[in-house]
Amino acid sequence: MDTVDASAHYSQSVDEKPSLLVLILDTNPYAWSTLSATLPLERALASILIFLNVHMAFSHANRVAVIASHTRSARFLYPTTTSTTTAAGGSGGSEDPFRDANKYRQFRLIEDQVQASFAELMRQTTASELVDAKETMMAGALGLALGYVNRLVRVDDSGGVVGGKDGAVGEVTSMNARILVVSVSGDLAEQYVPVMNSIFAAQRKKIPIDICKVAGETVFLQQASDTTRGIYMQLEHPESLLQYLMMCFIPDTATRRHLVPPTQVNVDFRAACFCHKNVVDIGFVCSICLSIFCTPPEGAICTTCNTKLDISALGNFGGKPAVVLTKKKKTKKLKQSKATSFSNEASATSTPGTPAS
Amino acid sequence: MADSDEDYIATDDEEIGAHNISKSGRHRGAGGAAATGGSGARSKNGSKPGGGAQKRERWEDIKRSWDNVVEGEDGSLSSTVAGLLEAGKRKRLLKDTTPLQRGIIRHLILILDLSSAMMEKDFRPTRYLLSLRYACDFVREYFEQNPISQLGVLGMRDGLAVRISDLSGNPVDHIEAIGKLRLDEGKGAPSLQNALEMSRAALFHAPSHGTREVVIVFGALLSSDPGDIHQTISHLVEDKIRVSVVGLSAQVAVCRELCKRTNAGDEGVYGVALDDKHFRELLLDTTIPPVTRSAKMSASSLLMMGFPSRMVEKTASLCACHSTLTKGGYLCSRCSTKVCALPMECPACGLTLILSTHLARSYHHLFPLKNWVEVPWKAASKSTHCYACQIPFPHPPAKPEELSAPAKTATGTSVSSRYACTICHNHFCIDCDVFCHETLYNCPACQSSVPKGRISNGARGRSDPMEVG
Ligand SMILES: [Zn+2]
Ligand SMILES: [Zn+2]
Ligand SMILES: [Zn+2]
Ligand SMILES: [Zn+2]
Ligand SMILES: [Zn+2]
Ligand SMILES: [Zn+2]
Repeated sequence: MDTVDASAHYSQSVDEKPSLLVLILDTNPYAWSTLSATLPLERALASILIFLNVHMAFSHANRVAVIASHTRSARFLYPTTTSTTTAAGGSGGSEDPFRDANKYRQFRLIEDQVQASFAELMRQTTASELVDAKETMMAGALGLALGYVNRLVRVDDSGGVVGGKDGAVGEVTSMNARILVVSVSGDLAEQYVPVMNSIFAAQRKKIPIDICKVAGETVFLQQASDTTRGIYMQLEHPESLLQYLMMCFIPDTATRRHLVPPTQVNVDFRAACFCHKNVVDIGFVCSICLSIFCTPPEGAICTTCNTKLDISALGNFGGKPAVVLTKKKKTKKLKQSKATSFSNEASATSTPGTPAS
Repeated sequence: MADSDEDYIATDDEEIGAHNISKSGRHRGAGGAAATGGSGARSKNGSKPGGGAQKRERWEDIKRSWDNVVEGEDGSLSSTVAGLLEAGKRKRLLKDTTPLQRGIIRHLILILDLSSAMMEKDFRPTRYLLSLRYACDFVREYFEQNPISQLGVLGMRDGLAVRISDLSGNPVDHIEAIGKLRLDEGKGAPSLQNALEMSRAALFHAPSHGTREVVIVFGALLSSDPGDIHQTISHLVEDKIRVSVVGLSAQVAVCRELCKRTNAGDEGVYGVALDDKHFRELLLDTTIPPVTRSAKMSASSLLMMGFPSRMVEKTASLCACHSTLTKGGYLCSRCSTKVCALPMECPACGLTLILSTHLARSYHHLFPLKNWVEVPWKAASKSTHCYACQIPFPHPPAKPEELSAPAKTATGTSVSSRYACTICHNHFCIDCDVFCHETLYNCPACQSSVPKGRISNGARGRSDPMEVG
């Protein structure tokens, strides 16, 4: 046994960075209610908590954050700042979370706080708010997630320093950060620009955005995972959410280099027109503000920036038959003129010949 | 004063050949005192820029970085250093955020100086190698910021303009072409006129809805031209080509005139690099789309574009752009020709093919996020943590006289370390302020709550009219 050199193994694990997982849970009750037969929100949340525990179990330095993307607000479920006392007191009643010997303290903390703030969120959601509330504040949630990642990845977090600005002094404690979106609702067209801005910010910071699509379909989230090199997974059986989470989304960015992660092959890159929110594959773009239209706007005036647009350039593109016609005419004319000239020439050559013959 | 420049002039004189040397007055630094060049310059140019007699010379005015550091109350420097850092961040951040009309579809020629002046070692390792490295950074950043734009690269060497890469939208081609220059070295004298005439020819076919720009990296202090460069400048003005110059040694009068005349009197586009960091900054600043000064500068038009989707094939097939076998790519939305990379003009039918994400990448230039404001102690009590990153804020002070301190400290930072969005009035820390304005371009708080009488997020920025700057 003495011949086994354990130092190699030790030195390998030294450069292993802790990883940060920010989970964005789409909590739109409207969308979850359509899934109530297979995967009610409470069960999904339970699965997600197990998943978070697994992530935390990999390393004591691993961190998580949970953000709810609700119908009219986006907020942190963990870590919360305002309601730390209510979270501890409100959830388990009299039980002190630090005293439970049968559970890893970190697990307990996360579970209690997520559940408490989730209950708080649901309590604050009134029925009137839910009337026709089909959307979810994904842009805001992504913004919060990126802001949080931006701080944690850069600032040294030794002992939870309060004066974060000291930590910013050139301190590069990079964690492997990633964002996982558990998405159920579809339409994001209203938030197109902010969602896109978030995606590019993530791309620049090299933070992959993984998408776990439980239901519905959004083109933009597909583009998000494709642009940031994340994983996109459309669940066939939503009831086995935990299985999907464990198999696809557990490896962190460092591990993924050695794996073949599931991803999408065909990405829909079509754009939505600004006038009717139709998805188009050929569109008209204003050169000033880059708005996309499905047909040239009326009077050639851009509806977003009110600029008078020159549509003469479109003539070359749009009028396909006309182009073909003029070409034909030209070639015909050319041929005719050639033919006539040829005949002239022929006659010319023949004329001198005729007297000879 | 001119003594220090003797060695430059000596080399200049050797290079006087058959060409005219258009070298006029110059002065070191961007806005410092005049250090008029040698005898030739003095005889040619009577008007010295900036009389520096009464002012202290730039090199006399030494800034010591340690002068600003004062010991804090607890005897350590950390709080002062943090404050200085915060002030620096804030200063960088405060930009004009009026939505301006910008030329998003750009056609730009990058002209690199490849003359013997670039072999100077005042930039490490040499001006030549450093400018090549930054040119590659420039290409990357340019296409990051302007995904639907075109770029071409030229070089100036031996009194000639050398074509390095053609006008195209593919960053890889340009970076490869620039990389090949590494094995070479600077030779001969540069010719601004030749390079500008060649760029003029290259930009001749650029459509009117796009911008026409030239960016010059200029290390030499002379230009060896076959004709009258002032005529070339007039032609550039006629063709609506804007020229900006990044100088490496000192200001050259002809460059100044060139920038001034082609940019409607704005000299701000001519900068002389003080050190390598400043050089990079100056060069990369030109990747931000230029402000449209008048409606005449670029015609507005409606463009037809295709948004193809990516597909993967079972068997490989030839792409129309490079004639290589690839499995997958993009099919032209109109004629279904396969191309392997976007953005591109369809080789078969000429339709511009782009990803919608390319357009979205430029939106933040057009609709910038408004600057956030400092929060006084009086208003600080409503938040205890940064809205985005959850970092705790310092508590308001107990003393009432401190409470009434102005929101902005002398260094420009917020007295309460909080910065508030003017629309949603939520508080953020300085790091999030920087992050949101420089990377995210959204306010996370505005995006995560629905105000009453909701305005669609996508159209919010768009509703205010854009100004022509
Ligand atoms: Zn439409
Ligand atoms: Zn427009
Ligand atoms: Zn190809
Ligand atoms: Zn085509
Ligand atoms: Zn913050
Ligand atoms: Zn806001």
